Amino acid sequence: MSGLKREGDHVHRLEALRGATPQQPHDARAIAALAANPGCTRRALMDGAGIDKDAAARHLGFPAPFGQSPFAITRGNVFEALVKADGCAELLRMLRELLGLPVAEVSYHDVENVGAHLRHAHTRALIDRAASEGRDAGTLYDHPLLSMEIAGHTAYLEPDVVAFQLGGRFHIVEIKSFAVIDGQADPSAVAAAARQAAVYVLALRTLLEELGHDPAKVSHDVVLVCPENFANRPVATLVDVRRQLAVLRRQLTRMTTLDRLLEGLPDDLSFDLRPDDDGRPTRPVAELADALHRTTARYAPDCLSACDLCFFCRDEARQEGASDLLGRQVRDELGGVASVAEALGLADGTRDPAEGQEEIARLLRNAERLRRECLT
Amino acid sequence: MSDRLDDLERRIDELRAGVRKAMRVRDGATARVLRAELRSAERAWDALVSGERQPGPAADQPRLVTVREQVHQGLRLLGATAQPRLVVAVGDAFFGGTVRSGQLTSLRRDEERSFRSSPFGRPYYLCAALTDRLSPARGLLTLSTWPLERRVVGPLSPRVDFLTCAIAVAEHCGEHFPEEPQEDEADDGRATRLLVRMARNIPGATDGALGPPDPVRVVEAARAELRVHADRDTRDRAELAERAAAQLGEVSRLFGAATLSTIKKENAK
Repeated sequence: MSGLKREGDHVHRLEALRGATPQQPHDARAIAALAANPGCTRRALMDGAGIDKDAAARHLGFPAPFGQSPFAITRGNVFEALVKADGCAELLRMLRELLGLPVAEVSYHDVENVGAHLRHAHTRALIDRAASEGRDAGTLYDHPLLSMEIAGHTAYLEPDVVAFQLGGRFHIVEIKSFAVIDGQADPSAVAAAARQAAVYVLALRTLLEELGHDPAKVSHDVVLVCPENFANRPVATLVDVRRQLAVLRRQLTRMTTLDRLLEGLPDDLSFDLRPDDDGRPTRPVAELADALHRTTARYAPDCLSACDLCFFCRDEARQEGASDLLGRQVRDELGGVASVAEALGLADGTRDPAEGQEEIARLLRNAERLRRECLT
Repeated sequence: MSDRLDDLERRIDELRAGVRKAMRVRDGATARVLRAELRSAERAWDALVSGERQPGPAADQPRLVTVREQVHQGLRLLGATAQPRLVVAVGDAFFGGTVRSGQLTSLRRDEERSFRSSPFGRPYYLCAALTDRLSPARGLLTLSTWPLERRVVGPLSPRVDFLTCAIAVAEHCGEHFPEEPQEDEADDGRATRLLVRMARNIPGATDGALGPPDPVRVVEAARAELRVHADRDTRDRAELAERAAAQLGEVSRLFGAATLSTIKKENAK
């Protein structure tokens, strides 16, 4: 009972944080980005409340540097159509080569046939049938729609393509249009794809669990399909997403236990943009910025590729001269020294180390001495 | 020659009447198609009357064929339900086609409208394949003249149809460009490319060499895989066709039953 009440409280509190701004539904990209920086309170709160971070960032005057270009989207769609053309002929070839899919397994279900509003229910029914009947049920499922609970709200996810059954296990197939050249692909693009696929794996596992099947039937190996070399010919690779799954799971449980984070917040804090009838935010920029500054962010240079608020947080970190700017590795090594100025002070001896800083101060002084010796 | 002129004149009259009728029932799509046909008929008539100009129009011939007719040609060659992009590729490879996939988007809707205003007024209609829910399948074209079994798609049908299409393409390649496939460069380049693309996805159809695949070998490989799926697919399709015949009316048997969401949308209008 008390659990229920607490839960109600926290949903209420999150709604107060969001205010009159309409809720932003989560998609797989957003959920995947959560896993990229699990330590950031600001992001956890804003995502938990379903706040449109992009709108907030634009209102603050720090528009995010990303968002897909229309050319990239067209290219992605064309490549996806190519892989799925003629009853997924290309995909079948790759799965036969990569996973040894038997020739007889070619059955194809397009979930979208039932019409948009029934897609989720139909996906459930098809997956349920596949999981219980085993062999004879079907191989490829195109356009499935999965769902996932994020901090009390349902997010709908469209696995880029297909969840398919092979030897009694489901695999998520993710089609991406970045090229694999000579067996090598851009590591950050692969990492992003793996994080996104992990979201689908988790959603599918949750679905199987709800239906009373073994969630381990969903393989943690994801089939990543990309164009090979400089041609448009698709090639498939297996990507292990166990690590991404673990991070994601931890981050999601953290979101459901947001009350711990909420407790420390002042009562009047709100990230409301106060949109007018046309949806244009009317809240004074300084006031919103002030509200955001009252939550702690954990800026890292990697945020630039994952979070809408990155420029705002970077600006904040710069003003504070925080060591976060230098990247995670440096920040971890400078444990206990919050700002760049402080670190420099410790290094040239103009500042006395506080309690617990002796060790790092000694290292910094040594480094400074070495640097001076090199320069003279 | 005068026979041909008479024919053309009769055809022009018919088309004019057709345009007038279509305009009366405000069927803009049909009217547009008929007008295009009318214009090409008039041009042919001009050419015949002034004589001598025979070779000119002959060279232009492919361009005078309507989009609808080109799709029909492509589907007839393939002999199975196919995605617009494949139909376009076939037209491109074998008939010097000028259709682009974008031109096919409104085609099915126009066909349905035309059928509704005057049922069976044309020798054939281009329709959608029917799914296991008897609704129109997305992006799969068929011909109304085919038996119902061929126009429905079960779970295995996309693969079976792909293999059937591959056999048709390979046989066509084999017949028209026997022996030396590279000889006739302009057209054959496209045909071979299409065959290569299809053969790549059929186990055992290529020998791993880089050259163009042997059509005979492609046909054999596709037939071999087809044998694996044929029984179950035929069974699925027969069952679906039976259901479609029992449950659907004349129009929806060709163009598919409306799904709940489309009914909702139409009621909302």
